[in-house]
Amino acid sequence: MRRNVLKRRFIRELKSEFGKYLVIFLFLIGAIGFVSGFLVASNSMLAAYEDGFAKYRVEDGNFELSSPAETELQTALIEEGVALYENFYLTEEVKETEAKLRIFKKRTEVNLICLMEGAFPEKADEIAIDRMHADNNRLSVGDSLTIGGKTLQISGLVAFSDYSALYEKASDMMFDATKFGVAVMTEEGFDGMGDTHLHYSYSWRYDTPAESDKKAGERADIVLEVLMGNGMRTGNVPVNFLPAMSNLAIQFVGDDMGRDNKMMAVFLYIIIAILAFVFAITISNTITKEALVIGTLRASGYTKGELIRHYLALPMTVVAVAAVLGNILGYTVFKEVAANMYYNSYSLPTFVTLWNADAFIRTTVIPVLLMFIINLVMLVRKLSLSPLRFIRRDLSKRKKGKAIRLNSKWSLMNRFRLRILLQNVPNYITILVGIFFANVLLLFGFVLPPLVDNYEKDITSNLIAKYQYVLKAPVETEEKSAEKYSVTALQTVKGKLKSEEVMVYGIAEGSAYVDAEFGDGVLISTAYAGKYGLSAGDEITLEESFGEQVHSFTVAGVYDYPAALAVFMEQEELNERFGFGEGYFNGYFSDRELVDFDERFLATKITADDLTKTTRQLKVSMGELMDLFLVFGVAVFLLVIYLLSKLIIEKNAQSISMTKILGYTDGEINKLYVWMTSAVVVISLIGTIPLVNYIMKYLFAAVLADYPGWLPYRVPFTAFVRMGALGILSYTVIILIQMKKVKGVSKSIALKSVE
Amino acid sequence: MFIEIKGIKRNFGEGESRVEVLKGIDLGIEKGEFCVLLGPSGSGKTTLLNILGGIDSADEGYIAIDGEKMADMNEKALTRYRRKHLGYVFQMYNLIPNLNIKENIETGAYLSENPLDVDELLKVLGLYEHRHKLPNQLSGGQQQRTAIGRAIVKNPDILLCDEPTGALDYKTSKEILKLIEEVNQKYGNTVVMVTHNDAIKHMADRVVKLHDGTIRENYKNDKKVSATELDW
Repeated sequence: MRRNVLKRRFIRELKSEFGKYLVIFLFLIGAIGFVSGFLVASNSMLAAYEDGFAKYRVEDGNFELSSPAETELQTALIEEGVALYENFYLTEEVKETEAKLRIFKKRTEVNLICLMEGAFPEKADEIAIDRMHADNNRLSVGDSLTIGGKTLQISGLVAFSDYSALYEKASDMMFDATKFGVAVMTEEGFDGMGDTHLHYSYSWRYDTPAESDKKAGERADIVLEVLMGNGMRTGNVPVNFLPAMSNLAIQFVGDDMGRDNKMMAVFLYIIIAILAFVFAITISNTITKEALVIGTLRASGYTKGELIRHYLALPMTVVAVAAVLGNILGYTVFKEVAANMYYNSYSLPTFVTLWNADAFIRTTVIPVLLMFIINLVMLVRKLSLSPLRFIRRDLSKRKKGKAIRLNSKWSLMNRFRLRILLQNVPNYITILVGIFFANVLLLFGFVLPPLVDNYEKDITSNLIAKYQYVLKAPVETEEKSAEKYSVTALQTVKGKLKSEEVMVYGIAEGSAYVDAEFGDGVLISTAYAGKYGLSAGDEITLEESFGEQVHSFTVAGVYDYPAALAVFMEQEELNERFGFGEGYFNGYFSDRELVDFDERFLATKITADDLTKTTRQLKVSMGELMDLFLVFGVAVFLLVIYLLSKLIIEKNAQSISMTKILGYTDGEINKLYVWMTSAVVVISLIGTIPLVNYIMKYLFAAVLADYPGWLPYRVPFTAFVRMGALGILSYTVIILIQMKKVKGVSKSIALKSVE
Repeated sequence: MFIEIKGIKRNFGEGESRVEVLKGIDLGIEKGEFCVLLGPSGSGKTTLLNILGGIDSADEGYIAIDGEKMADMNEKALTRYRRKHLGYVFQMYNLIPNLNIKENIETGAYLSENPLDVDELLKVLGLYEHRHKLPNQLSGGQQQRTAIGRAIVKNPDILLCDEPTGALDYKTSKEILKLIEEVNQKYGNTVVMVTHNDAIKHMADRVVKLHDGTIRENYKNDKKVSATELDW
C-alpha cells in the first residue's frame, strides 16, 4: 500500500509553528464555543418560550376598561369566538426598592405562571415576585416588602408567561426590570390591598387559534369593534387595547433572540473569514517559500489536486477540531454563560437543552466550508502555475512589468520601506481588514456605554418638569408650580417603520415649562425628528389609536425633548381639534410632587426615573455583552496583527539576514521592517474609525427602527480616543514580539541554500 | 527509437525581446541510453530537457516517448506521464525541509505502483545511516543523493538530470556521477543529463552538443569510461 509521506509534515509543521497554530486554535475554539453556546442556549430557551404559549395558555390579547366589563360585552365577545378572562391588577410602589409592582391574583385559566424558586403564595401576606425583578433588586425568598402600607413576605420567585420582557407599557422603548416588576398574591391578599390602584384589565383568547399574524390582526380588530361599540353604549371605553402580536412584554423575547442569533452568526462568520484569509496568506507564503519543492514534486508527477489537498489539510484539520471542541464547550460551559445573559435580561421559564441542528450548521458546517472555500480558491489560483514556473520561482500572476520607480531624492531608508510595503500589499490589506473588524467590535464595546450615559444625561437635563401627571379626568390642585396641559396619544402611520405611539401635548399659553413659539404649526421632539429625519416645514400625519381619524400637522420646529416621540401644540388648538372643549386639561407639569388630589384620578405619574428606564435596562442587559465585544475586539486585533506581522518578517528573513551581514544594526532593521508594519497598523487603526463609525451609525438606526422611541447615535470623541489608545497599547506588545523576531533572524540564512 | 524529438522550436518573449531558444531540434535516444546534453549557457539544453519532461511546451515540433506524442497530451495526461515515466533531478536538490531523508525518498515511492525498496535504495545511495536526518543536517552531496533517490525510487523509464553536479565540488560530483551511472546500469533507465561539464561526455552512450538552439554535434561513444575515471 502506498503511503502519502507528505502527511508526516503536518506534525512537524504544527511543532515548528506551534505558537501560531495554538493562538488560532484557541481563538477558534473560543469564538465557535461562545457562538455555539449562545445559539444552543437561545434556541433551547426560544423553544421553551414558544412551547410556553400553549403550555402556559398565553393570552391572544388584553385590554383595560375604566370600570368592570358588562355582561353584555362578555356575551358579545363570546359570540365572536372570544373567551374573556378577568386579569385585574394593582399598581403599587414597593417602599424598599422604590420600584413599581404590578400585582395580579393567582391565575388558573390564562397566562399561567412558572414557579422558579420557593412556593406560590398560600397566605394573604405572602407574595411571589418576578425572578428577574428580584435579581435586579437583590431580593430573595423570605425577604419582606412594604407595599401599600402592608408587610408582605416573598414566598417564591416566578416567571410570568405574559411578561417574559418586563415592559410596563407597549410604547416603552425598553423595559426596566429594576424599577418595574410583576407579582402574584392569593385572592384574599389581593382583595385586601384595596381598590385605589386597581386596573380593570381583561385577557382574551380565541376559541380557535389564529392561523397567521394577519388573521390575528383581523380578529383583534373585531374585538376592538365590539369594545368600541360597547363603549359608545355604556361609556365604558377601553383605556388600553393590546393584541398579543403587538405586546412587547410577550413578543420581544422571541424577536430579540432571533436578532441575536443572526448577529452572533454574522460575528462568527466575520471572524472565520478573517482567520481564513490569515491562513490563506500563510499558505501562500509557504507556497512561495516551497516553490522549488512544489515545482520538483509537480515535475515528478504529483498532481495539482494532491498538492491542494496537502496544503488544505492542516488548516481544515485545525478548524474541524476547533469546531468539535468549540461545540463541546458550547454545549457545556458557554451555554450556561449565554443562558445567564438571557436570564439577566428576560424573565424566562426553565428550559431543557436541545440538540440544535441550526447551531451545528452555523458554528461547524459554515465555518469549515468558509475556511475550505477561501483557502481552496487561493490554492487553486496559486497552484495553477506550471511546474516550470515554480522551479524558476516565477510565481507572479501578473505580467512582468517594470519595477515601480521611486524618487531617488528620497532617503534610502524611505525607499526601502516603500519597497517593503509594495512587496507585502496582500498582508497589509488583510491587516487593514482585520483591524476594521476589530474596530467594529471595539466600537460596540466602547461606544454603547457612553452613548447610553449621554442619552440619560440628555433626558434628565431636558425634562419638561420634575413631575408630569396624566389624569383620568380634570382635577384641581393647590400647588402653585403646577401647570395644566392637555395630552392625547396618536400613532404614526405604518410605513417603512412600525406604527408607534406619539404623545401630542397641548401647552398653555406662556408656559413656564415648555418654552416654545408654535407659529402656524407644531413642534416635534428631538426624538421624533431624529428617528424620522424631520425638520421645520415637513408635514406629519398621525392616526388615532382606537379610531380611524387621521391628523396632519406642519412642523414649525424641533423642541429639545429626547425622551420620547412627542408633538407640542397650543393647548386650545389641541382641545378644539380633538373635541375636548374649551378649558379642558388632563395633566399637570410640576416641579413639586402633587399630593392634594385623589389618586384615583391619576392615570400616570412620569418622573426622570420613568424616562430613563431604557438606559438602565440597556446597561443591565448589554453590560456583559459589551465586555465580551471588547475582549473579542482586542483578541481579533492582536491575533491578526501578530500573525501577519510575523509572516512579513518570516517572508523577509533572507533580506533581514542579508542586511545584518551588510552591517545594519537590529535597530536599523527594526526601523525598516517593524516601522512599516507599525505605520500600516496605526494608519489602519485611525483611518478605519470614521468608516466604522459611519457603518455603526447606519446599523444602529436600522436596529432601532424596530423599537419604539429613539436613542440618538452621539458618540463622544473620547470614546474614539480610548479605542485608538487601546489599539496602540495592544500593538506595543506585538512590536516587542516583532523586535524579538527580527533579532532572532540568523545571518546564516542568507548564506545557506534555499533548503 | 524510445525518445523521438522532431523539429522542436521554442521562443521566449515578444517583439524586440523575442529570443529563439530552440531552432528546430531533431534527436533520437534509445531505451536505456545515457545521453548527455552539452553546451554553453543559453544554448537551449535546459529548455529542451524541460520540454522532454513535459513541464514546458514546444512552439513547433513534437516529442514522442515510445511512440506516444506528448503534444497530444493535456495537462492531466502530462502529469500522468511524468508520474509514470519520469524522474527529475535538479541542480538545487529541492528537498522538503521538514521531511527526513527516508521520507523525502518516500515522496517519490508514493507516485509509483511498483517502487523500489526504499531501505535497499538508501543503502545503495549510502544514506541508510542518515535516513532519519533532516536535509539541512546533510552535506550538499548527500542531499543530491537523496534527490536522486527520490527520482529513481519509482523506477522511472527516463531520468532527467539538470546540472546535477552544478552545485557540488569535484569529489562529490564524481560520486554523484558514479551513482547515476550505477543506477543507469542497474535499473536500465534512460538517462538524459544536462551539463556544462565537458568531461562528463566520456561516460555517456550518446553525446549531444547544443549551440545557439541547434544541435552542433550528436554522436555515440564507441568506448565509454567509468565516472570514477573522469577528470576535469
